[in-house]
Amino acid sequence: RSHKGKRRNRGCVLREIHLNVTDLELGYKTKEELIFKYCSGSCDAPETTYDIIVKNLTKKKKLVKDEVKQACCRPTAFDDDLSFLDDNLEYHTLKKHSAKKCGCI
Amino acid sequence: VSKGINCLDAAKACNLNGTCKKYRSAYITPCTTRVSMSEVCNKRKCHKALRLFFDKVPQKHSYGMLFCSCQDTACIERRRQTIVPICSYEDKEKPNCLNLQESCKTNYICRSRLADFFTNCQPESRSVSSCLKENYAHCLLAYSGLIGTVMTPNYIDSISISVAPWCNCSNSGNNQEECEKFLNFFKNNICLQNAIQAFGNGTDMNVWQPVPPLQTTTATYFKIKDKTLFSSAPLRNINEISTDDYAKIISVCANLQ
Repeated sequence: RSHKGKRRNRGCVLREIHLNVTDLELGYKTKEELIFKYCSGSCDAPETTYDIIVKNLTKKKKLVKDEVKQACCRPTAFDDDLSFLDDNLEYHTLKKHSAKKCGCI
Repeated sequence: VSKGINCLDAAKACNLNGTCKKYRSAYITPCTTRVSMSEVCNKRKCHKALRLFFDKVPQKHSYGMLFCSCQDTACIERRRQTIVPICSYEDKEKPNCLNLQESCKTNYICRSRLADFFTNCQPESRSVSSCLKENYAHCLLAYSGLIGTVMTPNYIDSISISVAPWCNCSNSGNNQEECEKFLNFFKNNICLQNAIQAFGNGTDMNVWQPVPPLQTTTATYFKIKDKTLFSSAPLRNINEISTDDYAKIISVCANLQ
């Protein structure tokens, strides 16, 4: 089931973009750069029996009062930490800031 | 002739390379994590992670940050921060260099790396490179190998590429001369300074490798390039080779093509 699902949700992939650390707007003053990796794409195809049930019940309008979300494309693992030196010669390290693997979860 | 690598560019390049980024943060973290009110870091862990960094990361990146060439103080300060000196280098007290050497000798890694450094960075004024072994790559390898031992060296001022371990020669008693000799092997070593400068200026690493016998054309090229670089630019100013010298090198290269 999950194997089939993975194949179906091909839209959910890891993408990357080359940025300045300041582009992250986390409040650091530095001229260093990084590769930011993120997950994007659709997760329309049901991954699990749970997803099928939610889809079916939503279609039959049995869950109208609740907002039940379908799976979304999110990091399932994070990239290694990133360290950089700021303009005041202080080091900073970012953890769990960039994706390594993506999945419909 | 390639341009020199400055320290910010080297840091950028490191974080864009998966291996360098990983091992850089792997030493920055222990070297900047305070362990108690009295201790700024766990020095042992910081040293270990620094050794791993120089062991695992391609020299293009690790040397790029350690031996980058600088024109301004921001660059020089960044270069000095490469090894996180507040943790890996500085200490509450500065020991006598000969005492430090004794404690280095009690550790297997430190003892062998210090011996490598004295062998591979031995200056020789009559050689074109100023090194007895005529091999800059081996000298830089031996020097960077000391980082992460009790003999960890770093740049000591903001104007030259002079380096030293965290020690001095006060209280040397009868061994004053021996101590000065030891310390000056770091501080005033023309072989090491030429090697650092050559890397920072972007001189091709191949210049220093033993030349493979089949590539005769390349061998001639590098040999001439090497000789031109170091016979026409005999370290007047430690910091930079003048544009005049670059012009000479370019013309030699052009003639060869």
